[in-house]
Amino acid sequence: MEEKEKIKVLYVDDERNNLVGFKASFRLEYTIFLANDTIEALAYLEKNPDIRIVFCDQRMPVKTGVQFFEEIRSSFPNPIRILITGYSDIESVIEAINVGNVFRYIKKPWSSEDILSAINEGNKFYIANSLIAIKNESLQKAYNELDKFAYSVTHDMRGPLVSLLGAIDIAQDIDDISSIRELLTMMKDSVNNLDEFIQNIHDYYNINRGQLQITEIDFNDIVQEQINTYKLTSKMSHVKFNTHVNQNTPFRSDPMSMKIILNNLLSNAFKYQKRNNPDKLVELSIDIENGLATITVSDNGIGIAEKHIGDIFNMFFRGTSQESGSGFGLYNVKDALLKLNGEIKVHSVLDEGTTFKIVIPNK
Amino acid sequence: MMPDQTLRFIVIDDNKLDCFIADKIIRYGGMFEHVTVFTEATAAIAFIGTNAPPDSITKTIIILDIQMPIMNGFAFMEEFEKLPEDIRLQYAVFMISSSVNESDRDRVTEYPSIRLLMNKPFNKEMLSKMISHLG
Repeated sequence: MEEKEKIKVLYVDDERNNLVGFKASFRLEYTIFLANDTIEALAYLEKNPDIRIVFCDQRMPVKTGVQFFEEIRSSFPNPIRILITGYSDIESVIEAINVGNVFRYIKKPWSSEDILSAINEGNKFYIANSLIAIKNESLQKAYNELDKFAYSVTHDMRGPLVSLLGAIDIAQDIDDISSIRELLTMMKDSVNNLDEFIQNIHDYYNINRGQLQITEIDFNDIVQEQINTYKLTSKMSHVKFNTHVNQNTPFRSDPMSMKIILNNLLSNAFKYQKRNNPDKLVELSIDIENGLATITVSDNGIGIAEKHIGDIFNMFFRGTSQESGSGFGLYNVKDALLKLNGEIKVHSVLDEGTTFKIVIPNK
Repeated sequence: MMPDQTLRFIVIDDNKLDCFIADKIIRYGGMFEHVTVFTEATAAIAFIGTNAPPDSITKTIIILDIQMPIMNGFAFMEEFEKLPEDIRLQYAVFMISSSVNESDRDRVTEYPSIRLLMNKPFNKEMLSKMISHLG
């Protein structure tokens, strides 16, 4: 909402003089629309959805003010309705309130003070209503997300447990020790999946509910930490891990979010490799320049199909069943970047590899 | 006892452990030996369209997981229901999931080929229930 923009007010009256008088009194402070009848008034409402206040005379030839308000209540619910009338018997007041659902009732002849105060109060009410509408919308969004969340969480948490239960069941009937070992390996994967999922939920919570803790970040430390983390994976899965850091100036950001971003991108890069590729490669490069951190994570793995690229940052989206994933990782990455005002771009070719490029401004 | 040649199985589940378990349970006791496992529903639908059982006596039970990446259980059913009737009739689809909710129950009714929706874990009792459901 812009502060400087004038509040738009519509005045409907069949008496020309009243209209002219109204405009003369208030045109400096407000943007005034004048309508001689309700048809003209409707046209203004249609063209100007941001009209905030509607004044309407009660006594008009075709339709009364109350009838007009009753009509626009559902089609134009946002503008605040104020009835102006010379008749102030109790019956017409009751009708105006009950049928026209008016915000205020002004007696003719009106004084400038009456109108100004009505516009003022009406505008406050209008703003409060708009805020509630915005809140409701975001509440609905959060509610839908929670719904989806609860469903997927039960599935993703119960899934591995149920698998383990099934495995224990069939283990009773297996005598062959090598089959048992095979089973145990898969059971271990199941436990790891569940653990990873819980870790992801923890990250999700931290990003969404936690406060950012801005401190100075030494990217050499961060990268060294990642090298240590992936040392074993790199060796076991024969994935070469190249890193590059170029930081000459201090950089401030939230280390937790930074870690979540790098962990998820790197674990994906190591995970989604082509099984038979003899030269598996993951590269991490970080450059700090002009108050911007540019981070690139690339791999020569399985890549992402073009039709899935638009979905990869969605919660619970999974693009492959080659490896187990929670569908949570990139969602958390995007969320963390949102908090840091960062940006992410992805370039991927199926069967050739994927590159994520992130730019984060200094805080 | 001779293996029952007239009943075959297809397991579709992205979880490799669940596939392993289903495969073991079905083969256990030597009653059935035709078990084909798919961790991707897209591969399964391609296979089913071109590898229908050889005769009308032979039936294939499809054990189908709901939540899978790329093509989930319901997307699989969309494709399955488009197959010619004589092929469809040779299969009996049983859906399984680790978390069955109301909307899943509602959706199942949209696909006439789905026999039952069942809760994981898959076990011997579930297998007998599926077989007896064939009538």
